[in-house]
Amino acid sequence: METILTIFIIFIAGTAATYFLGKLNGVLRSILFLATLAATGWLFFTGITPESGIEFRILGITMGWGITPFSYIFAIIVMGLALLSGIYAVKAMEDEKNLNFFFANFLLTVMSMMGILFSLDLISFFIFWEIMTWSSYFMVVFTGKDVQKVGIKYILFSAIGAYAMLMAIVFIYSFTGSVLIGDFIDNFHLFDTQMQWLIPILLLTGFGVKSALMPLHVWAPGAYSNSPMSYTAMFSGALSKMGIYGMVIVLILIVQQIPNGYWIKEVIAWMGGITAAMATLWAIKQDDAKKMLAYSSIGQLGYIIVGVAIGTPLAMLAGLFMAVMHGIFKSTLFMVVGAVERQTGTSNFTEVTGLIRKMPWTFLAALMSIIALAGIPPLGGFIGKWMLYESLMGSNHYLLIIMIFFSSTAAFLYCFKFLFGFFLGQEEKEWSHVKEAPAMMVIPMLILAGFAFLLGIFPGLILKPINEGMQFLGYVSTTNRFWEMSIIFNDWGNAVVMMPIFYWIIGVFVFFLVFLTIKGYKTTRYVSTKDISTSGEIPKEHENLTFTMGFMQPFLRAVAPVMKRQIDKYYTSIGNGLEALFDFTRRINTGNGQTYALYFVVFIIILLLFKDSLF
Amino acid sequence: MESVGYHILGGIVTIIVAFTVGLTYMGLSRKITARIQNRKGPPFYQNFIDALKLASKESAIHHGFMQHSGPAFLMVSAILSVLVIPVLNNGNWFPNLNFHGDLIFLIYIMVFGSLGMALGSGQTGNPNSAIGVTRGLSQMVGFEIPWVMALVAIMVKYQTTSLVDLLEVQQTGGWLMFSSPFAFIAGVLAMLGMFRYSPFDIVSAPTELASGPVSENGGKYLFTMMSSGSIFAFAKLVLYVDLFLGGASNLIELLAKTFAIYMIPMLYGVVSPRYRTEQAIQYFWGWPLFFGFLALVHALVF
Repeated sequence: METILTIFIIFIAGTAATYFLGKLNGVLRSILFLATLAATGWLFFTGITPESGIEFRILGITMGWGITPFSYIFAIIVMGLALLSGIYAVKAMEDEKNLNFFFANFLLTVMSMMGILFSLDLISFFIFWEIMTWSSYFMVVFTGKDVQKVGIKYILFSAIGAYAMLMAIVFIYSFTGSVLIGDFIDNFHLFDTQMQWLIPILLLTGFGVKSALMPLHVWAPGAYSNSPMSYTAMFSGALSKMGIYGMVIVLILIVQQIPNGYWIKEVIAWMGGITAAMATLWAIKQDDAKKMLAYSSIGQLGYIIVGVAIGTPLAMLAGLFMAVMHGIFKSTLFMVVGAVERQTGTSNFTEVTGLIRKMPWTFLAALMSIIALAGIPPLGGFIGKWMLYESLMGSNHYLLIIMIFFSSTAAFLYCFKFLFGFFLGQEEKEWSHVKEAPAMMVIPMLILAGFAFLLGIFPGLILKPINEGMQFLGYVSTTNRFWEMSIIFNDWGNAVVMMPIFYWIIGVFVFFLVFLTIKGYKTTRYVSTKDISTSGEIPKEHENLTFTMGFMQPFLRAVAPVMKRQIDKYYTSIGNGLEALFDFTRRINTGNGQTYALYFVVFIIILLLFKDSLF
Repeated sequence: MESVGYHILGGIVTIIVAFTVGLTYMGLSRKITARIQNRKGPPFYQNFIDALKLASKESAIHHGFMQHSGPAFLMVSAILSVLVIPVLNNGNWFPNLNFHGDLIFLIYIMVFGSLGMALGSGQTGNPNSAIGVTRGLSQMVGFEIPWVMALVAIMVKYQTTSLVDLLEVQQTGGWLMFSSPFAFIAGVLAMLGMFRYSPFDIVSAPTELASGPVSENGGKYLFTMMSSGSIFAFAKLVLYVDLFLGGASNLIELLAKTFAIYMIPMLYGVVSPRYRTEQAIQYFWGWPLFFGFLALVHALVF
């Protein structure tokens, strides 16, 4: 019970110590930072069980902290990713300035996320939510690039979300007289119809912003790509899941109680589907790896939202499983980009090529997580995708399944672009000096990639806590009905058995690896990528054969009509309209005393003129 | 019966059959194309000679590890697809992996190979390879949509995602080709793209791109690709026969049906000029998509 408080005390003390003592010495700062994460991680994984909780009263309001089996799933993601990206960050950020601020903020974000998951009342939930927003905002503007454009967008949308949420909280408190989430859920059916519709929509707006649901996503591409990559690994991997966490609670526990609340779920699911499709198209277009991964994150969150919004047992399993998987592979990919950027100084596909021989371990991590992202068996991404498709078919969402399928097939395009852009293609002289990233950065990536592999063969490892969490939300246990340790079932009882498939994949692959690859590798001699046949001609040394410009042009030409409309433009025109309105207001409200005196006189004259007809 | 040895034997026999049939069909297609174009054409066993020649060659150079493992990825994909698809119905063939994967798994394992291949050819640094790959992937997004719509229509109609179940349905209820005609049309139109014959052959663009993705591979690697291609062709044909033509109860029937299916993309290709990539995509999102929608409506309403 006290473990919860201990964790938060360690977090706060660690944040302060990292900030103030970190000014003295860089090594001390890193040690304090990692020690805080390690201590809290150790306490969490050993001392916290899904039933722990405390209640206390502040200013006459009962508040509570505790962890439910459901929030435990997300806490695993947060703590795991925080530990690994923390180790990565220490090395990756080595040469940056203002690091005590960075690391203190990092800890603050982790603490606020844990706080959100631990909160059993709306007040502490909201406070932690705001700490999370602000600490991540400071990280978004940490590099000092595009502060105006990116930072303001992020904080503006976060503020819209936060005020929507605050409004909902105030309504809830005025109706129930309690801020405990449990009380709210129990009493929700007593609310009048208007409130029953308004409160979930307000809350979903708040959560939709954080989970980058279209049309509230416009902050995400800039914010994800502008933060330091070691932080974005957690930003996209864990922080966006907070939106999903809240969304699941609202959709399952609250919307379920509304008569005809079914429609909210349908709308959210369709918004998720459109998000997935459009974000994928935009990801294909990007030439900057960070931007591409940011759009890809939005797309992947779209799948997750589809899963949790459909809300059948299988769909919920799929959504939550994909949430865990996305945390794993997207963090790895952001770390890969960070490593490439650190070693080469750029993250642009059009500049860097042919790193595979220089950074083989980074490539391995990238390859594994790309395979997981594309949803190709036997890695974990496939399990989530499979369950999502099956659940959509089982719940009669036939057009949505086409939408999801389109976006996950189109995702292959940017998957290939990512691997080809950085690691394959021509090896240019310009990058011949590049070395593999330090071990402290490579090992966290490989650990995460290993998890992606493990969960593909034994999805039961993570489906077990997910199942417990879903039972807490009121679902019937899905063990042996939809999944076993390495078997997954659909609504109609068809199954994919991973073990024999895995044996065959490994068997065939090893066979060819031994008899073709390794044998051939030894008997042949390596030649540079200039020594190729291009339509019968042998290119000269100085000829540039790198193919990265306009990479997916034919595809983009085919889908150009869809991409013509951009939500950003609408927001810009709204912004311009507002600016004009404010400009007009400024003319009236000049701040000059004489103008106000004039208004007053005019007002009196009008009153006098019309006094007979008015009164 | 269910020992490990039996499973491995079943797998090997299936692969050998697939390889032989696939290569023969490719040879026959060359012959038929030639006759249509009023040429004499190579003998139908020409592909076996080519394969033998390639297999006996030795490679001298390589561009790195990924290039070597590209063909291995391709082989994994081809072999797993052929193992998951039931070759004959009524359990007249080795069970292989028939009960361990379903249609959605099949869709995904089928693209596994092209991604691996794409990576393998990417490492060679040949710009032609990369151009071919981007075209191939783009075209894949095109034909996968009607294809998946056809599959979803069938799966929803019969409430199963298992090929074995679908075969059983057809034992009693007649071929799906007649009971779900729109799904069949959408599926066949998608198949045109899947086989990459003209008008959808811009991927390898044999005349301009020096064969696209495979341009830097020779000898044993080209042999591996060729054999995986023929295994894959067989897998796809058997899949269509299983899905729409009620499967086959013996090998002769299977050959007759698969060859009939194989004729569709081949003959369509012979008389069609080539599409550009975006034209190909737009083609697939036109009529095939429309038939896909019809199939869905048909599955839901009837």
